[in-house]
Amino acid sequence: MLLLGMTLPLWANASASEAAPAAATSSSASSLIAALGQPAPARTAFAEARFMRMLDRPLVVSGELAWLGGDQLQRRVDHPNQETATIADGEVTQQRAGKSPRRFSLTRAPQLQVLLDSFVALLSGDAGRLQQAFEIRYTGVASGRWTLSLTPRDATVAKSIASITIDGDGKQSRCMRMQEADGDLAIDLLGPLAAKMPAQPTRDALQALCQSAD
Amino acid sequence: MRRRLSGPGARATLLIVWLLALAALGWVVSQRLKVSTDLRSFMPAPTTPDQRLLMEQVGDGPGSRLLLLAISSAGAAKPGGQSDVQLAALSQGLARALRNDQRRYSQVLNGSFDLAALDPSLLPYRYLLSPTLDTQPLDEAYLSDQLQQRLDDLSSPAASLLKGLLPRDPTLEMLKLAQRWTPAKSPELREGVWFTPQHEALLLVQTTAAGFDPDAQQLAIDGIQHAFDALPGSASAKLEFSGPGYFSVVVGAQTRHQADWIGRISSVGFIVLMLLAYRSISSLLLSALPIASAALAGIAVLTVAFPEVHGITLAFGFTLLGVAQEYPIRVLSHRRAGEDAVQSVRALWPLLLTAIASACIAYLAFYASGVNGLKQLAVFTIVGLLAAGFSTRYLLSHLLPVRVRDVAQMRWLANARTFVDRLPRPRWIPIVVALAIVLMLAVAPGPFWQNNLAALTPLPQDMLLRDAHLREALGAPDVRYLLVLQAPTEQGVLALSQQLQPKVDALVAQHAVDALELPSLYLPSIAWQRARQQKLPDRTTLQRELSQALQGLPFRPDLFQPFLDDVETARSLTPLTPLTPERYAQTPLGQRLAAMLVQRDGHWLGLGTVSGVHDVAALQTLGKDSGGSVRLLDLKAASESLVAAYRTRILQALLIASVLLVLTITFALRSLRRAWHVLAPMTLATFLVLAVERLAGIEISLFHLVALILAGGLGLHYALFFERDTGDPAEQRRTLHATIVCVLSALLVFGMLGWATIPVLRAIGLTVSLGVAFHFCLSILMAPHAAPESPEDSHARED
Repeated sequence: MLLLGMTLPLWANASASEAAPAAATSSSASSLIAALGQPAPARTAFAEARFMRMLDRPLVVSGELAWLGGDQLQRRVDHPNQETATIADGEVTQQRAGKSPRRFSLTRAPQLQVLLDSFVALLSGDAGRLQQAFEIRYTGVASGRWTLSLTPRDATVAKSIASITIDGDGKQSRCMRMQEADGDLAIDLLGPLAAKMPAQPTRDALQALCQSAD
Repeated sequence: MRRRLSGPGARATLLIVWLLALAALGWVVSQRLKVSTDLRSFMPAPTTPDQRLLMEQVGDGPGSRLLLLAISSAGAAKPGGQSDVQLAALSQGLARALRNDQRRYSQVLNGSFDLAALDPSLLPYRYLLSPTLDTQPLDEAYLSDQLQQRLDDLSSPAASLLKGLLPRDPTLEMLKLAQRWTPAKSPELREGVWFTPQHEALLLVQTTAAGFDPDAQQLAIDGIQHAFDALPGSASAKLEFSGPGYFSVVVGAQTRHQADWIGRISSVGFIVLMLLAYRSISSLLLSALPIASAALAGIAVLTVAFPEVHGITLAFGFTLLGVAQEYPIRVLSHRRAGEDAVQSVRALWPLLLTAIASACIAYLAFYASGVNGLKQLAVFTIVGLLAAGFSTRYLLSHLLPVRVRDVAQMRWLANARTFVDRLPRPRWIPIVVALAIVLMLAVAPGPFWQNNLAALTPLPQDMLLRDAHLREALGAPDVRYLLVLQAPTEQGVLALSQQLQPKVDALVAQHAVDALELPSLYLPSIAWQRARQQKLPDRTTLQRELSQALQGLPFRPDLFQPFLDDVETARSLTPLTPLTPERYAQTPLGQRLAAMLVQRDGHWLGLGTVSGVHDVAALQTLGKDSGGSVRLLDLKAASESLVAAYRTRILQALLIASVLLVLTITFALRSLRRAWHVLAPMTLATFLVLAVERLAGIEISLFHLVALILAGGLGLHYALFFERDTGDPAEQRRTLHATIVCVLSALLVFGMLGWATIPVLRAIGLTVSLGVAFHFCLSILMAPHAAPESPEDSHARED
């Protein structure tokens, strides 16, 4: 979730001057991804809602995501509680206000490692590297909106993450949805859309927001 | 005295009887002989508690039974990605296979230690093991704070790690314990198993066999290799071993290999030498019989006296039996034309008997050393020498052919004898040599004694580097220091360990040491577990506190039922003890604890493992005011003191043996002056070897001492025979011939050993070769001048 959340907004930052891709082919997906390569560092706002089986209502947090170049990513949460998570040198560091930092090796969570590798590939516009990790499905409509659907190829990763769906408009991604294998779902609203997170989000409302045409 | 057996028939009968007797002995030996390979029976007997602990740690301790395994891709593997996955699969497959063989492997670790994989019935124990309850009751305030933190966790990158644990363990006690139990430095986990930064999958295997038992270790290693080869995909990967057990196998194999080829070459050389010297194949073959009798009789007595015979006893024993080779050689060289062998032997016998008795006395020193292996060595060599001596005297003499060439007629020998007789023999030689010895010993560099046991078990440098590399990757603790806690009961040790924990934490904070693991880290005392148990609320109370804490939080109301169940279970658990067998003992934790708690002589010892010592003095303060119940054990110092104590005992025994030797020789020769001529060159030569080796920078080890004794035994023969003034120049020539053959054969055998690369073999080879040379020269230079030749004899030579 973290990594996807970090990478996608960068697409949103890209200029949307070119014509939107229209054909639902993997070659057009590749050309889209290739066109989305970013120079580091890049930052964007995000708002995330997590729907979990163990919770009555979704968890909502918001803050800023940043790619610092290389394999370094940062996720800063401002609401409801301050927390900064950084991935650098194979280690995840979580820093909360007034507490000593908590660290764990990225290798303790192999799926995070795979995601990191893949999405750094994505940020650098390396469609080939992304395709090694995921099966990519691309849907586009004439109005310029598109949806990328990523299914992990690695069986271990697939055990925890069923699929990742990204909605975008032109060269802007608006939303990312991560469907976990156990039924939990996380939806991130990215860029300008982050400000539109409802106070009491529902899956349907957010889905509609992601695919609305405003 | 018996008469010579007449006729070829009687001789043939004697030969057949002798051979049959040897065959019978051989059969007995083959039926009874049980060879042990545990090197510890060749190590000094520990006397202090520290030394005994050391011996356990080196030989049998968990550390010495660890094999370090590394699986890497064969050939040019590209790091990362696919190959890591395959290596991890091999690591898991190998671990599975080995865990099924509990007869050979008591523990197999590859990093896939998963708390969730523990017996679920053990999980409620976390509330008794974790220190949380010591400071923090499970009340509303604490639960509320914890649950709020869990919400933050769920929206953080750590969510996927924690999600599964939450319903059962909202305060994350299991993670706290896992953190406590994670070594200060542990290998990287990739694909769920340990990896080095060089992309090798790591495994730790603890064998049931002792580390210093090369044969048993070989079986364990073969088993691992076999299991590995049976795994699919193992052909494209490489399995490497390291660790004390593996080293003992390698060293054993190397020593055997070198000893074998050196033995083969020197045997051929010896046969050639004997043929050149006596020009008789039958003499050569017959003279092998006393040696064969010696070896078989020695082993036969060993099998009766000891339940197991050590392999090294046999190896060293055959070396020391080299002295016995002199007996037939002396007889062969002293044969006169026309005189039968019985008569030649009879003339020599008093001297031979003196030589045999003196050698036996010298080897008695080994018996007094108190080391089981050396005792066996003493029994073997003494029995062997007696068998060789007496069979030479009473059996061989009857079998040797009547017609022989008298070596005294050989022209080169006469010339050699003349040369030897013309050598100046100034009286000041002993003084000069003694002064030279003192001077050399005074200026010799480095420490006199080699106290490091490890210096004698040499390993190729790259193997040591590899071991260090794997150990570092595994975060294996320092092998030099141990913190030893002592108490009457295991609970006492745990209580002591708990008291010590705050002081240890302070030391770690001061960077006096990187980490110090105490036994109570893995298991608190029963009293502490009970105290924590008492602080657990009952179900109703906990339910109430939890409901209040959950107010306003989005958690589903029934989510924490497993938590309530676990706390309820924990309230009625019987506290774990180190003696709780069954389930707990089988867990990685129980095994770890078992390595840290040992029972000895009615009390218990706790062993705290130390990593990264920076300030030894600060660590030693832990033992202050403890009245000896806490102390820092320096394994290196303990092993050095052990070697030093061992050597002191051998030296004392040697001193007694020397006194006995002086008495024996003086009594046998019935003259102090003659005894001086025998003992002075021998003593000086022995010290000269010592001085020369010291000057060359060699530190003297136990093996040098053993070799010096062997050389001393040989030197005694030279001196005894040179001293024997028969007044008969022909006999003097025969003496010179015998001595030259003896010296050459000794130089051949031991000079070859001196070329070996194994330090033990080289120490023996070099010392004996030098010794033989010095003994030979000094016993000539310090022998009394031979009486002038009689006229007939010089005529005889001119013929």
